[in-house]
Amino acid sequence: MITSDRAPTRTDDSGRARLPDRSGYTTAGDGVRLAYDVYGSGEPTLLFLPSAPIVHSRQWKGQVPYFSRTHRVVTYDGRGNGLSDRPTTPEAYHDDLMTSDIASVMDATGTERAVLIGLCVDGVWRSIRLAAEHPERVLGIVAFGIGVPRIGPVQEHYKTAGAQFDDELPVYQGWGNYNRHIWTSDYERFARFFFTEITSEPHSTKAIEDATRWAVDGSVDAMLAEREAAFPWDLEGIEATVGNVRCPILLVHGTEDTCQRPERAQRLAELTGAPLVLVEGADHMIPGRHPVLANLLIRDFIRSLPEASNDGR
Amino acid sequence: MATVLAPESDPPVDTTRARQPDATGFIERDGVRVFWERYGEGAPTLLLMPTWSLFHSRHWKFQIPYLARLFRVVTFDGRGNGRSDRPEESAAYADTEYVADALAVLEATDTHRAVVIGMSMGAGYALRLAAEHPDRVLGAVFIGATIPILDRDPATPEIQVDPSFEEPPADDSDWGTYYNANYWRRDYPGFAAWFVGEKVFTEPHSTKQIDDGIGWALETDADTLVTLEYGSYLSPPEDWQREPADGRALLFARRVRCPALVIHGDDDHISRWAVGERLSRELHAPFLTIAGGGHAPQARWPVLVDRAIRDFVRGLEVSP
Repeated sequence: MITSDRAPTRTDDSGRARLPDRSGYTTAGDGVRLAYDVYGSGEPTLLFLPSAPIVHSRQWKGQVPYFSRTHRVVTYDGRGNGLSDRPTTPEAYHDDLMTSDIASVMDATGTERAVLIGLCVDGVWRSIRLAAEHPERVLGIVAFGIGVPRIGPVQEHYKTAGAQFDDELPVYQGWGNYNRHIWTSDYERFARFFFTEITSEPHSTKAIEDATRWAVDGSVDAMLAEREAAFPWDLEGIEATVGNVRCPILLVHGTEDTCQRPERAQRLAELTGAPLVLVEGADHMIPGRHPVLANLLIRDFIRSLPEASNDGR
Repeated sequence: MATVLAPESDPPVDTTRARQPDATGFIERDGVRVFWERYGEGAPTLLLMPTWSLFHSRHWKFQIPYLARLFRVVTFDGRGNGRSDRPEESAAYADTEYVADALAVLEATDTHRAVVIGMSMGAGYALRLAAEHPDRVLGAVFIGATIPILDRDPATPEIQVDPSFEEPPADDSDWGTYYNANYWRRDYPGFAAWFVGEKVFTEPHSTKQIDDGIGWALETDADTLVTLEYGSYLSPPEDWQREPADGRALLFARRVRCPALVIHGDDDHISRWAVGERLSRELHAPFLTIAGGGHAPQARWPVLVDRAIRDFVRGLEVSP
């Protein structure tokens, strides 16, 4: 396996409000090692998912201390960042692997069933897929910043910047920073730009600074590989998968989401019949930027689950 | 006395508040109306003092909702900002007037004794109240105290307002440029942005506190603050014994008999950390230093400050 030469790291570990009770690694089917943390006790287990290799599990810092008072909480660093391996081949970021990583972490932590909580594509689409294919393992899903590909339009800036991602540009301004040459020459500049764009609420300096640091913990080579990973689903396949989900779902999306357009959330709500909470004025990073709101929504969702969800793992 | 009255009509209810007051009202002294609020039913009562009228009582927005769950909380807008009047004579802004307003608010809210809590100049008002009215004060908390307590040079005349305040700036230092009556009259919002944004909140990630603070500052105006600047502040009565090097505030601190707590950031750019440290020594009071903290820790480090206040109040022996 080809991996990035950067040592796995998470720089933001010193000021934690709550330390994990147990940490460990599991090895995925292709040999990639995934780092997980387990906190607290109490049913059901809440599994907080990765969003994308641009960040790692500290993205849930606003949730972990609160929920680990009352629940067993599991987080893991997705492949490509944090303490997990950083493979640099596109195949390592195939949808099948990214989905089976969730089950690997559940197996390694002795978690038979869990409520999955996620943001963006790796958090939302992969949890939908796991729930469709392994309904016995998923008690419910709380989905933020709805990242389900193809069911709604892509943001224009991704189309424009993506089309010239490999090009050398005369100037790299705005979404022009979403470009291979900026990634490889000044990744922190890209990260700071990106998180400033998708955390557009006033008074977000701490959230932006945190996320930029988590990005720099990661690997540009992993990011480039992930970008080229195949996504072997057409719209029909995605809608069929969504249609197979039977567990309760809560959808939460900001009206100002710069990463995922609200149409995707609306469409997923239509397809699943799930309630959609549209947060007025919020951008993409709701759990990080609006933790109290996110936590109360998650808490109420867990309380609303059928009683049977709460006995045994 | 010529007085600019606050607007008669009630402002719309601020629905963004975490906690609405249980009662509100005005006291009136010498034609000046002062607006107060009362929250909660617990004991004892905490009196959250006004500060420099650049701000009004919303500078306690992070204390009120939490402390009102545990205690009874009374606060008021200092004359010169908020819903209180803006008198046009400097004498109306003497610290003794703020202390008298505090006593009137205690009467109006049927409060016999209270824990008095003040920030910045409000710590000076709280200090005077505690020193001169010990029967009304159960305990006192001084946050970012801005008081003349450090030893002074007896050879230098003791003046409260430097004459350069009304002159063109003598130098191009930021204090010389911005802390100036002409600058305030010419560009009051610019002054507020500098003072709040660069001097009060020096910590990273303070944009909300800065926006709030500038917003409160813009509820008053330059002329009011220039008038207030000449109001007497912590001038001790003539007959109090004083060594030449004693700071004026020291004389008040020596007369405080109640338990106290002193909180000060070690990166305070308005009032040096040494001021809080000296005050705590003089009062034999516990001293909480906020590492990296600026001038207004109650706004920037509210959880820490709220818990310190809670523990201090719980530790008081309160007779019914």
